[in-house]
Amino acid sequence: MELLDDIKAAKEIIQALLKAKKTFRMYPETNPMYAKTIEDTNAKFRNFFDYRDELTFKIKQNEIFCDSEQIYSNPQKEDNIALFFFKDGLREITFKKGFSVKELEDFLKILTVDYDREVLDDDVVTLLWERDFQNVRYVVDEAFLTEEDDYESAAVREVKEKGSDSDELTRAYEDSFNEEAVKDAVIVPLTDKDLHIVVKEIEKDAHDKTGKLITIIFEMLYQAENKSEYEDVGHFLNSIVEFSITHGDLEAALHILRKTREVIDTQSIADDAKKNLNMVFSFLGFDATIKLLGELLDSGVEIDEKIWDEYVAFLDKNAIQPFITMLGELKSIPARKNVINALISLGRKDIQSLAKGLYDSRWYVVRNIIYILGKLGDKASVDYLLKTVNHSDIRVRKEGIKALGELGAPGVFPALRECFNDPEVQIRTAAARALGNIRSTTAKSIILQRMTDAAFVKTDFSEKKEFYEVLSKWKDNDVMEFLMKTLKKKSFFKRALNDESRACAAYCIGLIGNKDVLPLLNTVKESKNKLLREYVYSAIKRIEYGR
Amino acid sequence: MAGSEGKGEIFTEPKDIVNQLAVIIRTAAIHDPGNIAVTTAIDKFITIINPLILSERELVLELGGEFFYLNEARIRYSLEYLPNFDFLVREFKKRVLGSIVFRDSLKSEDMQSFLRAFIASASSLESFEALAEKIAHVGSLGVGRLRKIRDEEKTEDSSDVRKMVKKSYFNAVSYTRGVVSKIKSGEKVNIKKAKRVVESMVDLILEEEQLLLGMTAIKDYDEYTYHHSVNVSILAVALAQRLGLSKRALTELGLVALFHDIGKIEIPIKVLNKPTSFTDDEWHMVQKHPFWGVRAILKMRGIDATVARAAIVAFEHHMYHDLSGYPKTKESFELDFYSKIISLADQYDGMTSARVYSRIPMPPDRALSIMMERAGTQLDPILFKFFINMIGVFPVGTLVMLDTRELGLVYQSDTVFLDRPKVLVIINSKGERGEGYIVDLTEKAPDEKFLRTIVKTMDPNKYRINLAEYLL
Repeated sequence: MELLDDIKAAKEIIQALLKAKKTFRMYPETNPMYAKTIEDTNAKFRNFFDYRDELTFKIKQNEIFCDSEQIYSNPQKEDNIALFFFKDGLREITFKKGFSVKELEDFLKILTVDYDREVLDDDVVTLLWERDFQNVRYVVDEAFLTEEDDYESAAVREVKEKGSDSDELTRAYEDSFNEEAVKDAVIVPLTDKDLHIVVKEIEKDAHDKTGKLITIIFEMLYQAENKSEYEDVGHFLNSIVEFSITHGDLEAALHILRKTREVIDTQSIADDAKKNLNMVFSFLGFDATIKLLGELLDSGVEIDEKIWDEYVAFLDKNAIQPFITMLGELKSIPARKNVINALISLGRKDIQSLAKGLYDSRWYVVRNIIYILGKLGDKASVDYLLKTVNHSDIRVRKEGIKALGELGAPGVFPALRECFNDPEVQIRTAAARALGNIRSTTAKSIILQRMTDAAFVKTDFSEKKEFYEVLSKWKDNDVMEFLMKTLKKKSFFKRALNDESRACAAYCIGLIGNKDVLPLLNTVKESKNKLLREYVYSAIKRIEYGR
Repeated sequence: MAGSEGKGEIFTEPKDIVNQLAVIIRTAAIHDPGNIAVTTAIDKFITIINPLILSERELVLELGGEFFYLNEARIRYSLEYLPNFDFLVREFKKRVLGSIVFRDSLKSEDMQSFLRAFIASASSLESFEALAEKIAHVGSLGVGRLRKIRDEEKTEDSSDVRKMVKKSYFNAVSYTRGVVSKIKSGEKVNIKKAKRVVESMVDLILEEEQLLLGMTAIKDYDEYTYHHSVNVSILAVALAQRLGLSKRALTELGLVALFHDIGKIEIPIKVLNKPTSFTDDEWHMVQKHPFWGVRAILKMRGIDATVARAAIVAFEHHMYHDLSGYPKTKESFELDFYSKIISLADQYDGMTSARVYSRIPMPPDRALSIMMERAGTQLDPILFKFFINMIGVFPVGTLVMLDTRELGLVYQSDTVFLDRPKVLVIINSKGERGEGYIVDLTEKAPDEKFLRTIVKTMDPNKYRINLAEYLL
């Protein structure tokens, strides 16, 4: 039998809702598909309301009916919109003609919520109830809310069982004549001031309750009587820290940490209490906690630098490893920067743990760890860093060399010297710069040794220039002598290469800014070699004018 | 109906109509309806109401019980409107006025005529008739007489509502039993269900407050723990509803209240049910239940805003307004707003139930008078005022003797005339026990004197009167 037009329209609405349920999950609100879905679904509703003022769906487990006509059926559990409503007790849903676009959008949002997520305490009915739609009515079967079958009948029967005694009632009636009469009830009316106070209190009540809960947990600590109660306190504080981080409220987490520290340091509390309070600091470094922190950092929430630094200061060395793992997973640069800063602070507590990050499979993590070790400036890092100059990734090697240069311990020289033999120019120049950073006599000797090597003159100009630039960091006689000698050096063979070296020497003299060399420079400034001429000219200008 | 959404619609809420009507009437009680103070208020009223009349063709503002309805939809209001709502309920009741019908386009002159008639009718013996007669010629306005609740009680609808209220109440008790059993056996508690249970109670409090409050008078000694949790939840939500809390906040409060005493599951039943006084150790155990409550709640599931609230209330509900209760705290403390509300509800239900520490349940009116003494010390004095406004001077379940020599149980409170509830008469003026009938103590004789007044109150427990027999 052909369906009536209104029933057809109702059927189309169900299909539109099914489609919308999918598209709403796929597209964000800003996507044109989102708006189109609302538009299309609304058109289906409007079509129905051309025929009727109200649309009622009767919901069975796997079917939906409209006016006794089955308009939807799906025996499968997947994508079953009837079951979706039915399982939460919804048995009938009615849309009134006034059902607005905004209401439709909100309804579709309710349809799209992932109700299987453990953390969600709401079901479809709760969300419909909270939204309080003006043009949606629904009927709910609440039988599933009770824990026992027909509890009501049994309970009512039971409480009614003890029927009142007729004689007692009569006695009550008789006694009542002897009872004292009621005094006039004093009813104190509510005043505007009362209302004002309550309004203020309600406003105040809107504030976050985490702080209050923390206070209570500490009261539980003060009054705990056994080991298990102390343990509970520790667990609860951990849970609140976790909750605070999840909600982006590091300040609340700090509240706990400051208080915990204060109680440990200043109050005479049982050893068990101290032990469990200390566990809170360990908890901060657990994988799961750091993971939450990572999610917070990556969420784009702006974290105050002071708060972050204070939080990090409470962390224990057990946070190092999870932070290293996190470093490889974070997507945003500010988040990585925060973690790097945290590791710089934490690394001091345990360089060995930090150095384990050098074995990470991700080159960028290794590079970050090298950077952190370099920043720590602890000579104990040298042994770990030395290994990195042989890393397969050039970016890591460069960072390792740089860090070694920053540390400048005696043990770094052989490795840096070895780097001069690396086939990669970037590594060779990095090693030179690292030596330049060290600025020791040994470092200078290694550089000069390299530069006086007969083969050095054949080095590419840019590399040569880098070496001379590094050399400018030493302004002593050895260096000046070497530079003047180079500048004066004339050659019949490989003249161009020799002039490159002279140009570099002039460049280096310019950087050093030694005025005594000006006469020498002036003698070279008319050189036929354009490169040499330019570099000498620049050096003179730099020395004379400081630029 | 006009809502608060959509382009081009009027952003008016029904509560604004009631509020502005109260403003007009208050102003007209001081000035002549033609005075500019009144006409300005009327103009504002017309601006609000005319677009609604236009879209709905006719608007009926009706008083039903203690609430106003606009075209049959119950009007919800927030705290700042409470005085004007209460005022209007009183003024309507004074004149036996049940409804005002607004039709066509309301004009200032029509409203002025109505006000003159309304003010004058207050001093008339048959006030409603006087009002109706005087405005008969006003085309855009009509009035209806206040419907007697007594007749309504016997209708099928009212019986269905009672059934629904009863069902929701016992659903909640059953759920609470389940929760306790689950916590004891270490099973997971379903909070989704708890929310649904409380939502259903919140709906009933918004629509049928007095009926649900009536259910709290039924005390089951054997199931005290569960009934008590549900009763406290109902009383707290009802009180908070009067404070103007949102539906969402009411649900949270109701949920939190359900779990306020959860720490007691750690106290052995034999201690809780002990017929004699507690030993020091037992008392110590009882005083630990707020701590155990926090522990049970925080172990139930991960922390979130509601869990934090529930834990706070579980900890504070015996601390009292002046912090003279327990537990005593080391650091300075300020009670949470929910704790203050729940503490009131807890004390009232505790005192009027058996098997609490005092062992002897008190008649509701006596419990209230004790609470009145505690207002300002143990109890928040302002919230207590709201509380007494909610449950009346003679709460449901109070055994009363009327000046007509009828003996009965308070059946439903009247939120305007706090000492004039509805009473279920169980022994008539001849001293005969019959089927029972309900009388409304706000009813007046033609000479404007009340037909019945409570003269004595008695203890239903003393005479082993089973309230369930009458109230369920």
